[in-house]
Amino acid sequence: MKRYVTLSALAVLFLFPLVWSGWASLKEPSNYLEMARFGEGVGTYATNSVLVSVMTVAGTLVVSALGGYAFARFDFPGKNLLFLATLAILMVPYATILIPLYVLLGYLGLQNSLVGLALVFVMFQLPFALFMMRNAFEALPRELEEAALVDGCGTFRAFARILLHAVRPALITVGLFAFLASWNDFFAPLILLNDGASFTLPVAVVSMTQRTFGAIDYGMLQAGVMVMAVPCLVLFIVLQRHYVRGFMSGALRG
Amino acid sequence: MRRRLAGLSLLGLLTLTAAACGSGGGSGAQQPADGPATITMWTRAATQAQSERLVEAYNKTHRNQVKLTVIPTDNYQPRIAAAAGAKQLPDLFAADVIFVPNYTSQGLFMDITDRVAALPFKDELAPSHMKLGTLDGRQYTVPHTLDLSVWFWNKDLYSKAGLDPEKGPATLKEFAEQATTVQEKLGKDGKVHGTFFGGNCGGCYVFTFWPSVWAAGGQVMNPEGTTSLNDQPAMTEVFKIYRSLYENKVTGPTAKEEQGPTWTGFFPKGEIGVMPMPSTTLGSMPADMKIGVAPIAGPDGGESTFVGGDSIGISATSRNPDAAWDFLSWSVGDEAQVEVMAKNKDVLARTDLSSNKYSAQDPRVVLVNSLVAKGQTPFALRFGQTFNDPQGPWLRFAREAVFGDVSKLPQLNAEITKSLQQ
Amino acid sequence: MTMTLGRTGRAARTAPPARWRSRKVQGWLYASPTAVIVGVLFLAPLVLVVWMSLNRWPLLGQATFNAPANYAKIADNPLFLDAVLFTLKYTAITTVLLSAVALGLALLVQERRPGIGFFRTAFFLPGAVGFAAAALLFYGMLNNDFGPVDPMLQALGITSEPVKWIGTPDMALFSTITLVLWRFAGFNMLILLTGLQAIPVEVYEAARSDGANRWQIFTRITLPLLRPTLALMLILSVTGSLLAFDQFFVFTNGGPDNSTVSMVMVIYRDAFFRFDLGGAAALSVVLLAALVGLNALMMRRLR
Repeated sequence: MKRYVTLSALAVLFLFPLVWSGWASLKEPSNYLEMARFGEGVGTYATNSVLVSVMTVAGTLVVSALGGYAFARFDFPGKNLLFLATLAILMVPYATILIPLYVLLGYLGLQNSLVGLALVFVMFQLPFALFMMRNAFEALPRELEEAALVDGCGTFRAFARILLHAVRPALITVGLFAFLASWNDFFAPLILLNDGASFTLPVAVVSMTQRTFGAIDYGMLQAGVMVMAVPCLVLFIVLQRHYVRGFMSGALRG
Repeated sequence: MRRRLAGLSLLGLLTLTAAACGSGGGSGAQQPADGPATITMWTRAATQAQSERLVEAYNKTHRNQVKLTVIPTDNYQPRIAAAAGAKQLPDLFAADVIFVPNYTSQGLFMDITDRVAALPFKDELAPSHMKLGTLDGRQYTVPHTLDLSVWFWNKDLYSKAGLDPEKGPATLKEFAEQATTVQEKLGKDGKVHGTFFGGNCGGCYVFTFWPSVWAAGGQVMNPEGTTSLNDQPAMTEVFKIYRSLYENKVTGPTAKEEQGPTWTGFFPKGEIGVMPMPSTTLGSMPADMKIGVAPIAGPDGGESTFVGGDSIGISATSRNPDAAWDFLSWSVGDEAQVEVMAKNKDVLARTDLSSNKYSAQDPRVVLVNSLVAKGQTPFALRFGQTFNDPQGPWLRFAREAVFGDVSKLPQLNAEITKSLQQ
Repeated sequence: MTMTLGRTGRAARTAPPARWRSRKVQGWLYASPTAVIVGVLFLAPLVLVVWMSLNRWPLLGQATFNAPANYAKIADNPLFLDAVLFTLKYTAITTVLLSAVALGLALLVQERRPGIGFFRTAFFLPGAVGFAAAALLFYGMLNNDFGPVDPMLQALGITSEPVKWIGTPDMALFSTITLVLWRFAGFNMLILLTGLQAIPVEVYEAARSDGANRWQIFTRITLPLLRPTLALMLILSVTGSLLAFDQFFVFTNGGPDNSTVSMVMVIYRDAFFRFDLGGAAALSVVLLAALVGLNALMMRRLR
């Protein structure tokens, strides 16, 4: 019981800012109407955001699952160097590298493109995702893979059929974080996209809230926070049943 | 071998997906080789409404089309810097007028001296905007949208406080007296305050305090924008009056911490007696609120304003300067100014049109329009990093002057000058 | 620099020598997407950043080589030197608090119980709000005039007058750290939860049948087995805090009176307010080098 009292008190603290924001935004529902009509219309921005997020999640999962497996189970020349280079992505100040990235995407013909933006997000997600997936593959008992290899599976089939299932909680965490990062990020789409029709939701929401001489329209901001947060809430509720203890042992038996 | 192929094909699939999506996403940027031109234009969110109305009216009546992209205000400067760095500026971009000299000196705008000279009304364009668009005798920008600082007073609160609701302040001292009266009569419950200002916001200080200096005949910088005159009596007098307002608790208690996001939010709630406000907010005030508008005055009279807003120019890398100029010249022409700008109560870029068939309906609009010729826009190449930047020297100077230790001012003023000369 | 943080990672390699060469190639194949992304989208732009730091780099027009002027002038930049000290202080406090809170939350919600899903969602949900928006939200919430926090604290009798939440240097730091804890604790809780899930139930069961109490299980089993995950969290927290930007740029504006200016804020200012792209690149390179060194050190320690 004591645990539930602690949990409830903490939940109130964590939810309070969001509840305040949601409640305040409903005092003037016209904010939502105004938001829906803003610029190209909220549908365009939401579509762009969904496209970028889906591409980012897919890209991050594929690259980091393959890479995590490589780093956990294989030795190859340049392994440590590549791992260190990947981690260094975390350590570069975001704002500085965006200008060279902008130039580079221009060379690749990916300027003003949602694909280019998604690739940049995959790159920024990679240190976390790779570390996470490497840890997950390392934590798997070696016997799992060896049993599959003895059964005549190649490493790729062992990887695709058995190991991927076993690291599902890590994949879900990586995917969820990739989604959140690409869904919420403001600065990269701001800098890398040239055209208002390809902007994502955060850029549009921030545009809506800023008035003359630095003033902020709080009604719009609170409505914007809600519009941005609700899909994340739904996604998390859907995925959260995967964060259940005992999953690993199930995989072992299966 | 089979597993290697499987691995490779997965990679290939990833590349294919990327390529397929790439052609879909990128095609929108392509321009037709001939026929009507499409020109791109950027503006900041703060002046979006005006830009959108102009572009819409232009697109309806012209074969050439303007494609407008609105960028969040606070991030406009980084966006321009990044685009310039990657040589991907749009054909046209508007900019906060005080940043224009810096952009011009960085070579971001195209020289349009000869095109402007051909305009029949070139001498009637808002003079302070035109001055900031000039570098070494060459013209680079024209006024786009104007936003002036003026005093708003709340007529209902004035009546309740026993003040004449029809008579606003004519001097900064009257401003202080009236604010004090509102505070003393109505401020007991802590909701209503005499006045308000953004005390932790460099841009707010220059926009709202400097006009009082100009109205008194003073200056804040030398004409070249390389020496700060903010330690002169004209400025210190103004600081003194605001300082006593804060010390006597006539301002809202958060004035000292206000960084800008909420500074214009208190007046529309009916909580402030009288305060300096951006003129563009007049249209967004609650419809049932009775608001008086007065020019900003000096301690003993005079009137002036900070002529803010956006100027606009053709980017140095534009491949469509003729089509871009067609839009610019149209936007400052009679029809756009009267039928688009004046119709929506916006301030006009032309001094000769300040009285027109729409402005006559609201004397406050006529007043604001008339201030365009009287007001000033300060010129400095290093304006933003000195005055707007929260880490710049001006904000520390102003905060010491209003809330802190006045003896530090001479040294801090020297730092402002140093920053201006960098 | 091998980073075999996992216990099982140290297990003896059992692959037969005949397949060794082929495994090398396979390893490369699996790692090649990573290599392509890192090479093209990170290392190539990074080379350009380094090149920029050796030049006077105007917005438009030709760059002129001026090395090492951009590096030499860092020593004359008092704003940056102050920012280094402040950022280190902020990082130390934030990392300690964030790790403690996240671990506490993860332990509270790790087991399946009725209603636990609600609590997990509640703690995690702030992570769904964009950070810049969250900072603005806090700015409004803590506003003395219309924010709800002051009246509530006064109604509860905790404070008697409005608190200057961002009015003094210490309060501004405190409020910022509160914002960061609110926004990121759930995030880090999730990372730890993933690590906790990876500990096989059998290990706990074995310990319990050996008569270990809860504290012994925590210190002898949970913590050691959580080590790789804790290491990841620590790296993320330290690096993220040293690169802190939004929380100060949006929430405190670096104020009051430049008391909360972080290193990246100075870089941002140099690049985008002063258009000194070369100088900003030099600061970035220095910061990157320091972070790589620091993290290499941390990883060595955590092995």
